[in-house]
Amino acid sequence: MSKKPVTQPALHKVIMVGSGGVGKSALTLQFMYDEFVEDYEPTKADSYRKKILLDGEEVQIDILDTAGQEDYAAIRDNYFRSGEGFLCIFSITEDESFQATQDFREQILRVKNDENIPFLLVGNKCDLEERRKVSYQEASDRAKQWGVTYVETSAKTREHVDKVFFDLMREIRARKMEENKTNNGRGKDKNKRKKLKCVIL
Amino acid sequence: MDFESPDVMKDFPGLYASDVHKAKSNDIEYGEDAEKVTKKDILIGKRKEKKDKKDKERGYAALEGESSAEESYEVSPSKSKKSKSFKFPTKSKEKREKSRDKEKEVTEKKKDKDKRVDKKIEKDKCKVEKKEKKVKSEDWCDIAEVLPIFGVNLKLAIEHGRCHDGIDLPVPVRACIDYVEDYGLTFENVYKISAPKSKVIHIKKLYNQREHVNLVDYDVPTATSLLKMFLRDLPEPVFTSELLIRFEEAGAILNVALREKHLKILVGNLPQHNRLLLSWIITHFYNVTLNEKYNKMNAQNLALCMSSTLQTSHRLLTALLCHCPALFPDTVLERYIYPLTSSSQLPDDPELMEQELQKQESLLTQIHSEMNVGFISKQREELLWEVQRIITQLKRKLKTANKDREQLFEKIDEQQNEEIVENTQITQPSPTASYEPETTPVQISENVEETKSVENVTASETIIVPETNVSDSPNLAVLHKQVIKEAEPEEVEFVESESREFKNALEILQIRNGFLSELRDSFIKQIEEDRAEIAVLKNQLTQRDWTPVYGDANCASLDEIMDLLQKENQILQIKKINLVRQIMEQQEACIDLKTKIDAYSKHNLFA
Ligand SMILES: Nc1nc2c(ncn2[C@@H]2O[C@H](COP(=O)(O)OP(=O)(O)O)[C@@H](O)[C@H]2O)c(=O)[nH]1
Ligand SMILES: [Mg+2]
Repeated sequence: MSKKPVTQPALHKVIMVGSGGVGKSALTLQFMYDEFVEDYEPTKADSYRKKILLDGEEVQIDILDTAGQEDYAAIRDNYFRSGEGFLCIFSITEDESFQATQDFREQILRVKNDENIPFLLVGNKCDLEERRKVSYQEASDRAKQWGVTYVETSAKTREHVDKVFFDLMREIRARKMEENKTNNGRGKDKNKRKKLKCVIL
Repeated sequence: MDFESPDVMKDFPGLYASDVHKAKSNDIEYGEDAEKVTKKDILIGKRKEKKDKKDKERGYAALEGESSAEESYEVSPSKSKKSKSFKFPTKSKEKREKSRDKEKEVTEKKKDKDKRVDKKIEKDKCKVEKKEKKVKSEDWCDIAEVLPIFGVNLKLAIEHGRCHDGIDLPVPVRACIDYVEDYGLTFENVYKISAPKSKVIHIKKLYNQREHVNLVDYDVPTATSLLKMFLRDLPEPVFTSELLIRFEEAGAILNVALREKHLKILVGNLPQHNRLLLSWIITHFYNVTLNEKYNKMNAQNLALCMSSTLQTSHRLLTALLCHCPALFPDTVLERYIYPLTSSSQLPDDPELMEQELQKQESLLTQIHSEMNVGFISKQREELLWEVQRIITQLKRKLKTANKDREQLFEKIDEQQNEEIVENTQITQPSPTASYEPETTPVQISENVEETKSVENVTASETIIVPETNVSDSPNLAVLHKQVIKEAEPEEVEFVESESREFKNALEILQIRNGFLSELRDSFIKQIEEDRAEIAVLKNQLTQRDWTPVYGDANCASLDEIMDLLQKENQILQIKKINLVRQIMEQQEACIDLKTKIDAYSKHNLFA
């Protein structure tokens, strides 16, 4: 009905997932406002929008920062369903959070029903090298198994913070372009219409 | 709390299912309502034909999901019946086709994705397939059918068309009242002139489908007709089927004071939601009648227009309108302001921010629950993120405002302390006071209340102070009388010493006590007598053989007579209760008067 004007920049929807306390909010806030909060405040759900230049093209990014677990699984699914790309975060200082990424991956695949969904495995708190519990090798092995990229970040030092968001957006953009191509063929649409007509007749 | 476990599904496998279940129970409730309408249209054969057709049109993936869903419905016969009535209601052909199109699109997409799915995750898929199917069967539902606002009972209508400002009325009701209050009060023959039905039905549909409606785009007759339609569509009258007769009874009482009293009691007996809706409608109609000069609608006229809509007599409606100020003294028709959208400016005042936050959170909950029954679309998802974003912004803004607010509160506290000091100074009788005489009483009366609550000693002081000053200012004299009236309902001379005051009150209480115990004794005596009579009557009953009087009469007439007698009994019962209440009230009034008389005579003796 109310089609957006063509000039509207592309919008990419990113969802942060991972156990509580791994730094989802810290990464988001660092990316959005260049700030780092020391004290931990459990998130319910927060959403942010930012205009950025992605390889010279002005785009908008919507970031949804979730709790490690929503009160209801169904609510979480509503969010996951609307996400176009996922940053799956764990803390390299906490093995449990790394194990949990497996579950998050499964949940996302179940809701999106798409194994090629833009997705990055992110090991956060890499500034705390002395407290590392998850080795780089272990994490990148899992990423390889899933067919995704592994990146280590620090929300505190801002290391690789922009990188994870930008890399994910590129994946989303590529994915959308691919989808557009297949949709522009319009072959399927025509088939569909013919089928419908047949039924009516 | 801090470290949230990620695998909800493992820990609480029931959680997810229960949500789906919740959604279904909603459907069922609606199903019952829908059945009324669709029973006629949906013959079993017809239904089957439609179903077959539908299945053919679908891709195999959806068919698979659908069939499993059907199976699960078939488990209980009553359930399956209901689910069908909600699946194939009387929908326009065009709309049905549209939704089919949608479903097709989804299947098409899903097929596409299926191709890309690797064998690796085949296992994972199996694990979750069952749950997936459940969701699928409810995906892409028509919200207007599953959670309609019109035509369901009031509680559901409020739930489905929630106003997010905490006032539990359905959105269309608020919108219509707001609109008519703004533009319709001076509209000639408002509520008498109605809009074309097709137009009203169209708006009703928009509301049911959660489309944005702006009544300003329409006119007064449309708004009034829409409100009427909402009320008419309610399965039960606002007065509830239970209390309706009693309302009618009360409305027919000739004695004005008594009528008001009974209507008040009955209003108090209404369920909360019904009471609120009634209070708003009547208050709104009352406002309409206040503008009779312009709109030509007095209470009589309006009652005639609305009685059939509200399923009442026009006498009751007229009565409610007449007693409106007494029945609903606290009802304020607060305008409903929709939750902000991202294009609007967020408020700066922390209190407004807090309010807005509550609204947005209520809206968010609503969106989630609608999504959980399958009301999912691109726009809805956009809305979900947008509302979430506004909430985040509000929270951030509140946080930064918090520090300022704390400082502000500290300042206010200081100022308040200063004010109290100032006020106590004002009450000191000072002939050189510089304030204007008109404002004096107000200031002092406020002050009396304030200081009263703070400290008793100062309260008595402030009351006494103006007394010594009576001759100085007539305004103060008036105030003085008011203060005494409030403090002491009896017109007994105000006593200066506190102990005297207590003695006085004690005396009055003692007198009252005496009368009340007399009354109690007489009641006890009466109860004993009644009990004795019951025993006697019971005895008679057991001794006699019970033979029906109408043994020969035919059953039909007997039933009729029974019906009539029962109804008569009901009415008599109500009348009896009313009379008993009246007697009680009069007895209490008697005691009050007697107490006063006694107190007076004693004081006259002392004087
Ligand atoms: N040293 C360090 N601390 C971090 C980092 N990221 C987050 N934190 C801290 O970890 C705690 C939890 O972070 P938070 O972002 O709230 O976790 P969330 O529950 O995943 O959103 C906070 O006290 C943060 O200050 C990081 O990269 N390095
Ligand atoms: Mg957080």
